[in-house]
Amino acid sequence: MQGNGSAGVVGNGNGAGEDLRIGVFICHCGGNISDVVDVKRVAERIRKLPGVVFSDTHNFMCSDPAQAMIEEKIKELNLNRVIVAACSPTLHALTFRRTLERAGLNQYLFEHVNIREQVSWVVEDPEAATRKAERLIRAAVKRIGHLAPLDKRRIPVHRSALVIGAGVAGLVAARDLAKCGMKVDVVERSPFIGGRMAQLGKVFPTGEDARPLLSKLIQEVVHDPNVTIFTSTEVLSSVGIVGDFRTKVRTTPRGVDARLTYVGNAIAACPEETISEFNYGLTKRKAIYMPHPNCYPQMPAIDWGTCTKCGKCLTAVGGKGIDLKDEPREVELHSGVIILATGYDPYEPLYGEYGYDVFPEVITLQQLWRMLDWEGPTGGQIQRGGKPIKNIAIIHCAGARQYQGISMPQPDGKVKDYCARTCCTAALHASLEVKERWPEINIYDLHQDIRTYGRGHEDYYKHASEAGVTFLRFDGHDLPKVEKDLRGEAPLVVKVIDQLTNGREIEVPADLLVLATGVVPHDISELIDMYKCAIGYDSFLLEVHPKLRPVELAVTGVFIAGSCQGPMDITECTAAAAAAASKAAAMIAHGQVEMEPFIAQVNEELCTGCRTCLVVCPYDAISRDESRGIAVVSTAVCTGCGTCAATCPSNAIVQLGFQDDQVLAELNALLDREAALVL
Amino acid sequence: MADQVMTADVSTRASATFEPRIIGFLCYWCSYTGADMAGTARMKYPPNIDIVRLMCSGRIDPELVATAFAKGADGVLVCGCHIGDCHYMVGNHKTMVRIPLLQRVLREMGIEPQRFRLEWVSAAEGARFQKIVREMTEQVRQLGPLNWPGLMRSRGVGHGMDLKPWGEV
Repeated sequence: MQGNGSAGVVGNGNGAGEDLRIGVFICHCGGNISDVVDVKRVAERIRKLPGVVFSDTHNFMCSDPAQAMIEEKIKELNLNRVIVAACSPTLHALTFRRTLERAGLNQYLFEHVNIREQVSWVVEDPEAATRKAERLIRAAVKRIGHLAPLDKRRIPVHRSALVIGAGVAGLVAARDLAKCGMKVDVVERSPFIGGRMAQLGKVFPTGEDARPLLSKLIQEVVHDPNVTIFTSTEVLSSVGIVGDFRTKVRTTPRGVDARLTYVGNAIAACPEETISEFNYGLTKRKAIYMPHPNCYPQMPAIDWGTCTKCGKCLTAVGGKGIDLKDEPREVELHSGVIILATGYDPYEPLYGEYGYDVFPEVITLQQLWRMLDWEGPTGGQIQRGGKPIKNIAIIHCAGARQYQGISMPQPDGKVKDYCARTCCTAALHASLEVKERWPEINIYDLHQDIRTYGRGHEDYYKHASEAGVTFLRFDGHDLPKVEKDLRGEAPLVVKVIDQLTNGREIEVPADLLVLATGVVPHDISELIDMYKCAIGYDSFLLEVHPKLRPVELAVTGVFIAGSCQGPMDITECTAAAAAAASKAAAMIAHGQVEMEPFIAQVNEELCTGCRTCLVVCPYDAISRDESRGIAVVSTAVCTGCGTCAATCPSNAIVQLGFQDDQVLAELNALLDREAALVL
Repeated sequence: MADQVMTADVSTRASATFEPRIIGFLCYWCSYTGADMAGTARMKYPPNIDIVRLMCSGRIDPELVATAFAKGADGVLVCGCHIGDCHYMVGNHKTMVRIPLLQRVLREMGIEPQRFRLEWVSAAEGARFQKIVREMTEQVRQLGPLNWPGLMRSRGVGHGMDLKPWGEV
């Protein structure tokens, strides 16, 4: 053992009590490291340290021959610890851990020293860089004696999935999972499935009708025997961990069943009215309603918030098919994984924002699309205020790309500063639709920038320009102003400082002002608490990594699909949902999940049961065993942040792989006298 | 100073060639990757900082910081994800409270604020990491060697503190 009296754990994973036999492998990285760091000198000096039995360099340590060499040395010299000094561990730690595994050594008896990104690429002086590299490797040599073999966590996964939300993303995810033979439960809060896609008349970039497309998707999903859909159903609570989630849901009765034949009579008889969410408030609907004729399921539902249970609908249909006394039902759904596909809401402009709610001529782009829909509330006609529409102004970025101090703040004091991505193309698509039907209408498009980023989206910009849409550009710090037109030409006048004409103030008449509103996440605060979801600065759900793990949440086994993650068009939602489904399917198909072992562990003798760790754990992974009066870590829930280990007043919790003695050994080695001289 | 060895040590280290020893405790997800980013962009900074990688800045036990100073560090830099970006959702919220409190305690114990910094560095902020390390190294260089154990003993406190600043584990 080392002469410094280190209390390290020694052994190769198969038994303790052996001497440390450390192999140190230093990489040249083809000159990336060795041009600055004198790797030969470092290897020689490290070779002299106690416990080190092998220390050498290689041109490319990550290459197959070099890995084979490491494997060989482990076997030949009976190494029980391996240090690789090379690039950042984010790149190749896994590579070398696998090398250890192949050589029959526990993969966690490994230290990766970063001498490229954090030494050779940042330190100018070769001498200083060489010394720093040596210091860091020395620290790893000291630390590695304290490592113990660890095992990956393996958790069995139940062969089923729960999808929350039955919009496009949820349906696609459910369809794809069901096709893999997985059992899928889909939970939808509203009585109808299909989400917001049905509210769009046409969709870009193909110009297809939205509802037939959606119908096709719905038919695929609902006729799959693996799929069970729960409408009017809310998630109440969820317990469990990846592989074994138990989710309690409550289904509000529909009030209507398949025996109902005279749907029209029932709806006509209903005396209660409320605003139609489907038409964004352009029309009213009854308490017993169908949002649109092609909705799914093809039967009405009763909105219990509006219904007074007067019974007139029941009389009108002869007492069959409607039940006003049905009670809510609760069931528990068992699933191995969960996909959140909770979608978005269009941004609702504040009172007075660009004259919204003040002037009846101000509408949102969503409302315009409802009007343009041939099956919509106006039968495809644009109407507002009774007068014929001659001039339409469209203002982009209403509730998007706002600046603090310029735009009206939201109730939370913040402004919506992110780009909502879809509204530029949607607005241009609408402009073009209007121009095609009524070429005589003047359209003024007021934008900060036109962001038609997707395939085929730019064509809408091009065609809108060709069709004669007038583009005016404003600065987000100098927003257009909407006023009553006192000359009486049009009801409204929009004043804009136009950047395209060197900042001239231009007045645009508007019979109709359309706000191309942004996108906000659907309110799912309860689910966020339940599943410990990470939230981005824009309040949308936050993936683990935008490039490497784009549809996963930090909580293992919970995936995100579609516009709950950020503003997306249907194309992107579908792609995201398919990705989430394939990730989930892979997890289920594998039958188990493997997780890193760097989790918290309680030393039962030291634990006083003070509950401090319970409070700081971001994942509720620690509970208190009341009978024994100690903290217990759920190994499957723990994500290994180590916050509890830093907090425990009795030092009773350690984080495996980052234990106090391991980190302190590293610290001591970095700061010891010899190392100091190395600087 | 009571301790002869310490005095000698300080005098040699306080010479014109004084190179401060700085320990950086970095969370793996944002700040460590941010430091890597500085490397990828070949942004040069002094070699005085040695980075200790932890999974989350919430893991940074005050004891680790105190030990670093007690063992001879002239400065300690703690870096974590920006608030709201924590890989573990709220791990850095603990850091945000814990470290400033520790800064106040250590200031009372003779450690100047420049020697013990808390900074948020995202995975993309290589330039920010470079700037912080350059600035901090220069400031600590100006302040001179810390020799915290010696300082504590000169105040007649520090009993129980590891009196061998360069000692082994």
